Amino acid sequence: MLETINLSKSFKGKKVVQDVNLYLNNGESVGLLGPNGAGKSTTISMISTLIKPTSGEIKLNGVNTIDKPGEIRRISGVVPQELALYQELSAYENLKFFGAIYKMKGKELEKGIQQALEFVGLEARQKDLVKTYSGGMKRRLNIAAALLHKPKILILDEPTVGIDPQSRNHILETVRMLNQKDGTTILYTSHYMEEVEQLCDRLYIMDHGKIIAAGTKAELLSILSTEDTIKVELNKMDETFVEYVKTIEGVRKVEASHSQMKIIATKGSNLISKLVHLAEKHHIQLINFHTETPSLEDVFLHLTGSKLRN
Amino acid sequence: MRSFIKKDLLIFWRDRKELATVLILPILLVLVLNFAFAGLFSNNEQSSLDLQLAVVNQDDVAEAMARLNEKLVNEASLGDQEAKALVEQANDIHPVQLLFDFLESEDLNDWVTVHKLEESVAVDKVKEGDLDAILIIPDGFTAESLYAAFVGESPATTLEYKLEKETSNSSALYSIIHGFIDHLNYQFAIQEIAGASEPAVKLPEGGFEKIGAGETFTMTQYFTVAMGALFALFLVATVATKTGVEIREQVFNRILLTNSHPMHFLIGKMVSTICLVLLQIIFVMIVSHFILDVFPDRSITFWIGLIAMVILLSLVLSGLAAVFTAISLRVNDIDAANGIFMLVILLFGIIGGNFVPIYILPNWLQQIGEWTPNGLFLVMLTDWIQFEELSSIVKPSILLTGIFLLFTMIGLALFPQRGKAK
Ligand SMILES: Nc1ncnc2c1ncn2[C@@H]1O[C@H](COP(=O)(O)OP(=O)(O)O)[C@@H](O)[C@H]1O
Ligand SMILES: [Mg+2]
Repeated sequence: MLETINLSKSFKGKKVVQDVNLYLNNGESVGLLGPNGAGKSTTISMISTLIKPTSGEIKLNGVNTIDKPGEIRRISGVVPQELALYQELSAYENLKFFGAIYKMKGKELEKGIQQALEFVGLEARQKDLVKTYSGGMKRRLNIAAALLHKPKILILDEPTVGIDPQSRNHILETVRMLNQKDGTTILYTSHYMEEVEQLCDRLYIMDHGKIIAAGTKAELLSILSTEDTIKVELNKMDETFVEYVKTIEGVRKVEASHSQMKIIATKGSNLISKLVHLAEKHHIQLINFHTETPSLEDVFLHLTGSKLRN
Repeated sequence: MRSFIKKDLLIFWRDRKELATVLILPILLVLVLNFAFAGLFSNNEQSSLDLQLAVVNQDDVAEAMARLNEKLVNEASLGDQEAKALVEQANDIHPVQLLFDFLESEDLNDWVTVHKLEESVAVDKVKEGDLDAILIIPDGFTAESLYAAFVGESPATTLEYKLEKETSNSSALYSIIHGFIDHLNYQFAIQEIAGASEPAVKLPEGGFEKIGAGETFTMTQYFTVAMGALFALFLVATVATKTGVEIREQVFNRILLTNSHPMHFLIGKMVSTICLVLLQIIFVMIVSHFILDVFPDRSITFWIGLIAMVILLSLVLSGLAAVFTAISLRVNDIDAANGIFMLVILLFGIIGGNFVPIYILPNWLQQIGEWTPNGLFLVMLTDWIQFEELSSIVKPSILLTGIFLLFTMIGLALFPQRGKAK
């Protein structure tokens, strides 16, 4: 439903976002992962129409949004990285103001406010001034303000930075509920691998303004390597067993020493069950084994040569 | 739109410190300034001018009648009989005594202290600054002035008024004395025409001539109006600062994303500025009025005019707020912008005469000052307080309206189009 085509942005000649192509399907939950300064916020600002791209297109259901920002603004809710709230007003007053300028009125507005507050678990403190809130509560209200008008697309920019684990879980749960129960399309930005892994169906990895990889988690992992490394510990070592292992389809290399074996095999060759079978036949017990699967962290490292978190 | 205004007012209401500043501080300042300056400028009950006047009498009153007789016979060629009759009549008139009576009269008592001195002593004292001026009654003054009165000529000798250097005090004294001499001559003239046998010279009223027929403009009124307008100006800076906060705290972005027309934001700022300025000035004026009786016994028309002018000022200031808001949305460095806004406001305040009465400033600055909205407002209000004449406020009203439109147009022109805002 939403796609960007060669989206680019320069500030004073410095390219901050370069040729970003990404898309969101209806009901999907998509992550945008990248270290600080990668250009995630800039990309999101362009998508949400706050800043104009230097070049490239953004299309909502095939219609260019850059000159006609009305529709995307109407159907999307944006949770900015920074808090966008009036500190001197209460949560209720904040939502009432933002709801009113979304042209919501009367009962509809009142109901919208209470639903949004309930969603983020702030009903009890709604009359308190925002400046008295904890960091986590402010972040939750920041999300509530984007939910008022029941957006079809929710765009979140690092909504969990710098808050306590409890609030963080609450936020992640809220986003998951919105996606799974209400069918809200999610674009979630983060530099936390775990969050994106947990929440998102698909993800984009961004660094230095460019998308360097995209796909489902499994797809991304397969970028890193086409092989799995499996370490096995046996109760005894048997030469013939080793020879048999070498003949299993997909196995490329076997190293044996004492009671341990290291097997390198093609990814997805279903090695473990075959191995278990074989061991039974040879009356060998498998004491312990583990697969060394690369993480997204490794993928990032592999792609950029640097760690995700700095 | 209503939501924008409500939000701005609510945020302002929450900022109690700011609220107290714009409401209480001007009233405190009016009170403090009023008491501080009461001794200097007060123009009602209390006297403030205390002029030290040396009077040197060189006239020999005892000889005066003989000299008058001589003059009448020799110079006016009157017969002895005629001359005698006139001298008889003149015996009852003592110009020197009249002058002293005048200077020491109740009216002038508060203003002038008379010191009867020798000329040389008086001159020294004036030089030392102990005295303000010297009035010399020259030899032959009585005879000459009586003679002049009878024959209808101007006297050959007159009072001499000497002063070390021109100050407002001494020139005030001069006009008092001048007034006296005119009056004296006038009285004689009347007397002669009427031929009344018993001259009764009425003393002129002491004090400055009143300007026109209007009311006087008091220091208290000046302070009330000036402080009200000054803090209204500060309110504009506050509105601009709050816009800065909205930008920094990203709420302006959120407002943009709601698809509501950004112009609502600007107009909301203008309307809330109008509300705040009206509230603030009216509050300051009314409270000052009740504490200090600033505008005693004024008509309903006066109050209506006053409120109309305050409304006009609030409009102009809302225009200024629009300009500041639009600039805030355009610049990169909001703090620098806020600093500049404050400077502009202080500048307006100073040259518009809100800190010190405008006539203290150099002429060229006064002229610029009268073009600031607050300066115009002060000039207009000063006029209104004194004369309550519609004709005298038409021009400044039109000018103010013009400035309002100009500001608003600049604000609208500078206001960033949707999507372009940072
Ligand atoms: N308004 C701007 N002017 C100049 N440079 C900017 C501006 N906004 C962002 N940048 C630069 O663009 C880069 C990407 O920033 P950002 O999109 O915020 O990254 P992220 O959200 O991934 O941390 C950074 O190097 C940042 O300094
Ligand atoms: Mg960011």
